[in-house]
Amino acid sequence: MLSSCVLYVKGVDKVLQQSVRPTGNDIEEIVDKYGNMLFKLCLVILCNEYDAEDAVQETLIKYLTKAPTFNDIEHEKAWLITVATNQCKNMRRFHFMHPHVNISNLQLYSKDEENYGLLDLLMKLPNKHKTVLLLYYVEGYKVDEIANILKVSVSATKKRLQRGREIIRDRYRKENE
Amino acid sequence: MDFDKIKDAVNSIEMSKVMKYRVIDNCNSVRKERKTQLNYKRWISIASILAIILSISILIPSVNKGLVSTNFVITAYAINDDGNEFRENLSPEKAIFELSTQERIGVVESVGGGANLVFTNIMLKITGEDIDSIEYTINKGKFIEDVILTNEERADREWILTEKIYIIYGELGSEIYQGIKEIGNTYTLMYNEQDKYEYTLAIPSDAKGMIDDDIIINVNVKYIDGNTEQEDIMVGQEFDAISLKLK
Repeated sequence: MLSSCVLYVKGVDKVLQQSVRPTGNDIEEIVDKYGNMLFKLCLVILCNEYDAEDAVQETLIKYLTKAPTFNDIEHEKAWLITVATNQCKNMRRFHFMHPHVNISNLQLYSKDEENYGLLDLLMKLPNKHKTVLLLYYVEGYKVDEIANILKVSVSATKKRLQRGREIIRDRYRKENE
Repeated sequence: MDFDKIKDAVNSIEMSKVMKYRVIDNCNSVRKERKTQLNYKRWISIASILAIILSISILIPSVNKGLVSTNFVITAYAINDDGNEFRENLSPEKAIFELSTQERIGVVESVGGGANLVFTNIMLKITGEDIDSIEYTINKGKFIEDVILTNEERADREWILTEKIYIIYGELGSEIYQGIKEIGNTYTLMYNEQDKYEYTLAIPSDAKGMIDDDIIINVNVKYIDGNTEQEDIMVGQEFDAISLKLK
């Protein structure tokens, strides 16, 4: 059970919420809560189911062993996304040194056949563009929040978002010509 | 093109239950294994902190001397594996960019196959008043930049060679490729355009990943009034770490 304590400060009309580092068997709850979200993110970035599983696992182990005290649930989620995207980045660099075979039928993980084309376009984007698009369109973060999560400037985030859209649009147009 | 459909497309991906329970089992077993290792790590950290405090207390006069020698501050920064930014204003004391064996790829990764360069995520930034331009020069190694290439660009071998893009990698079936562009051993940039440059250090090393001795980055700052100042940064290798300090 993920323990969450609520601190009421006497005389102050304010409630401070604080998640503490999980203990015991919290891993099951945290996987229920964030496992799927992290897996989607990692699978789209890495384009490999085994690597995505490893990235999720490594992220959760870091959560269990190194996670700081979070201000709130959003802080916790953002921290997990940051660690997961960095983990993916490192794994891609590692695979650059040790090439691996990508699976081409990634759509196996998608329930809806209509989405295959768009998923394919998204997965073929360069990492930095696809990560920004994922956080913006899927997780609903604002540009400044994404910049904070990815530790890049707001203008760089805007550029990546714009460039990612352009690449997808061009490829979509070419495929439908 | 409706980009909002990206949400539906990605949300249609699901982690299988088999995978989910495998992740839970693996996390539990790895956590148990790491508990004992973590205790060692904690003691090593405490010992390191005590050593740093001791060094500072002994060398405090030289630290102060170093801090006032120029009118600008050099900051080195890199994103650690856990996403936190490690940022340090350089001084005659070593700024250590720690790397554990397992997470070495996180901040510094070496490309095998005889390239003999250690690619780091370490970037430099200068802060000061009335600065016009900055010139960085490294005596061994290169400054590099991660770049994105289209399929057409990748196919243009002549252009790639002209641009000094030597290492290219991409996903299977993708028309977009990522490459590493060699900037060279020196570059100059305007002070107010530093955010536009994301150049990192590639440091020469031997086959075992040990970096060369006597690597120095010279920082030459030119002020608006025409005056110049410079500092040398010494790059060193600690146990599983890269260190930077002012000479």
